[in-house]
Amino acid sequence: MNSGQEKIAGGYPLVAVVDDDESVRESLPDLLREFGFATHSFSCAEQFLTCDRLVQTGCLILDVAMPGMTGFDLQRELKLRGHSIPIIFISAHKDEVVRRRAFQQGAVEFLFKPFSDTALLQALNTALRVR
Amino acid sequence: MKVQLEHPADEIKRLQRCVNDVVSLLALPAMWSGSKPCDIVPTLLDSLLRMLDLDFVYVSLTNLVGAALSETVRVAQSQEQLFRPRELCTFLSRWLDPQKCYLPERSHIGDEEVSLVSWPLGVQREIGVIVAGSRRADFPRDTEALLLSIAANQALTGLQQARRLTEQKRVADELDQSVAQRTAELAAANEVLREEVAERRRAEEALAASEHSLRLIVDSIPGLVSLLTPAGEVELVNPQLVEYCGRTLEELRLWGTSDTVHTEDLPRVVQLVARSITSGSPYDFETRVRRFDGVYRWFQVRGLPVRDASGRILRWCSLLTDIDERKRAEDALKRSEAFLAEGQRLSRTGSFSWRVATGEITWSEELYRIFEFDRAVPVTLELISTRVHPEDIPLLNDMIDRARGNGSDFEYEHRLQMSNHSVKYLHMVGRGIRDRQGRLVYIGAAQDVTERRLSEETLGKVRSELAHVARVTSLGALTASMAHEVNQPLSGIITNASTCLRMLTLDPPNVDGARETARRTIRDGNRASDVITRLRALFSKKDTIAERVDLNDATREVIALSLSELQRNRVILRCELAEDLPLVTGDRVQLQQVILNLLRNGSDAMNAVHDRPRELLIRTARDEDDRALLSVKDAGIGFDPQSMDKLFQAFYTTKNDGMGIGLSVSRFIIEQHDGRLWATLNDGPGATFSFSIPCTTNT
Repeated sequence: MNSGQEKIAGGYPLVAVVDDDESVRESLPDLLREFGFATHSFSCAEQFLTCDRLVQTGCLILDVAMPGMTGFDLQRELKLRGHSIPIIFISAHKDEVVRRRAFQQGAVEFLFKPFSDTALLQALNTALRVR
Repeated sequence: MKVQLEHPADEIKRLQRCVNDVVSLLALPAMWSGSKPCDIVPTLLDSLLRMLDLDFVYVSLTNLVGAALSETVRVAQSQEQLFRPRELCTFLSRWLDPQKCYLPERSHIGDEEVSLVSWPLGVQREIGVIVAGSRRADFPRDTEALLLSIAANQALTGLQQARRLTEQKRVADELDQSVAQRTAELAAANEVLREEVAERRRAEEALAASEHSLRLIVDSIPGLVSLLTPAGEVELVNPQLVEYCGRTLEELRLWGTSDTVHTEDLPRVVQLVARSITSGSPYDFETRVRRFDGVYRWFQVRGLPVRDASGRILRWCSLLTDIDERKRAEDALKRSEAFLAEGQRLSRTGSFSWRVATGEITWSEELYRIFEFDRAVPVTLELISTRVHPEDIPLLNDMIDRARGNGSDFEYEHRLQMSNHSVKYLHMVGRGIRDRQGRLVYIGAAQDVTERRLSEETLGKVRSELAHVARVTSLGALTASMAHEVNQPLSGIITNASTCLRMLTLDPPNVDGARETARRTIRDGNRASDVITRLRALFSKKDTIAERVDLNDATREVIALSLSELQRNRVILRCELAEDLPLVTGDRVQLQQVILNLLRNGSDAMNAVHDRPRELLIRTARDEDDRALLSVKDAGIGFDPQSMDKLFQAFYTTKNDGMGIGLSVSRFIIEQHDGRLWATLNDGPGATFSFSIPCTTNT
């Protein structure tokens, strides 16, 4: 499989996936590649922050509940650092309050797991259009 | 009439006889000396009859005014037949008439012719008259006449003398009488006087004796006594007083200016004593008196006036009683009472006593304050019941009946309702004791615990809210984690499947890629399944304890735990636990969770009930199939029979803040125990939730 394969930037936006769940980190990038995106995935927020292609990230798919730095923490941190990467939150926990808050903080979309591929694609298009 | 001449010898004899008679007659007055007229006259008449030859002789006496006093007539013995005295008297009485002359005459008295001769007694017949009579024609002869006149004279003399004597005697008698009377009077007066003197002497003696005994008493009284003169000076002090003060009588006389009485008390004492001396009314005060060693002790001084029969004050008697110990004790008592009262006030506790037989109740001041009654009002059970909250009256009556019955200690908490409808909570403790007569008396204390109760209630509310929130949160968390746990693999499944589809629709299809996604999908599916299994394991612990459980005991424990909560919701809990309930095998804690859930549901169902008692009945019984049956019956709002199945569905709730987990989990637990959980509507209001579990089989 082309798990490490990346499409070079220059037409194919880079989508980052940050989720502590392994199955997500496994399955989501493949789907994204099928969509035609370049991806890189991280098991925690801190890892993403220290990655070298942070700035080039076109969109971030971010899990809310994570041990250590949560999704919101990362969102805040990115804002602080002046990055305006559009964020699509994903969460296994169905909580409207959290969802609303995410939008208040400037998220592009908030999807509840399990989500359909079309929903994800729609969200990605919205995110990249914004950019 | 024939005049016969007498022989001279006969005449001499006759004359001699006449002289003798004269002499006799002359002797008569001497004889009559000292005699009464009534004695003189008979003698005279008898003499005359003897001396002279008369047929009768009559004397009539008059009193000083001439009226007839007495008539006496003597008839010669031989003539008694002829002359009757009464006739004679009647006839002869005319001679009293002053007109009648005294010349002799002849008259007829009856059939007889008589010669009568009369003489006045006294010149004017003031004494009386004498009449002599005879039938002889020659009566009276000269000698007879002589004798008769002499006799008349003598009679006059004698009678006059007698009359004088009588008068004299009368006067003398009168004099004697008055003298005697006077003497008697004097004697009587003398007696009285003597008696008075004797009495006075007795009185004096008695006084002297009482003075003596008074002195003895005063000296022997074990108190300090002093006697004062009516003017208030010290006359006498008993040895005890002398000993106590260490002062002599002279020194004690100067008590008004010395240090015997404490300087602070002296002005007041002097004034009080002076006032009593002048008014005569007793004095009674407390003062400090100096002891011989200089120490002052408190004394009660009482002064009484001693009066005589007329009310005059003879002396003042003053008694001093040492009350120093008592005073100290009183002060200590006052202080401790003040402490107690203050303590009661601070802790809002009042004390009471209740004499059961008589119904007599005494309260401390704090209790009046708590109940908001006037201190002057006498406390009775009826009065108390007017302040007890109407809903708690049965509780009060129950307590009273119990207390009356067995005399055991009691402890109750109930509400009071004041006149302004505010509510207080009262915590009461009472102990039964027997008094000396063996009668039952309760003594106890009652505390106003309103603040504590309210804060407890608030705390309780907060706790239950917290618990609820915790429950909700934990359940929420559980749900969240459930969702999370399941959603992760689900998400993976969907994502992988989506990827798979896309890969297969490529031209050419990415079969390897699709194979990989398919593999992941299966893996995630298994993961999800594991999660469910794990979650199930949460409900039933991994190492489920299978033990013998007595449902009655388990129920009692649950009741004990939730009792205060139920009471707070005014739920009246009734238990009917069967004695022959068989044991069941299972998890005690889980079964208790079910029972608790049913209890809570039953209580919650009655939250809106106000018109009937909130009764909750827990029953255990042996089922037909030898199963253990437990049911909880409430008097609440019941449920819609159509939605009976929904009741046990997860997440179904009619409660605004309910999660709807309880019944579904409960059913799950019961089914784990091979049991059955169901609900029925009551005939009356409310519903009954029951479960039955097979009992332990003896293998």
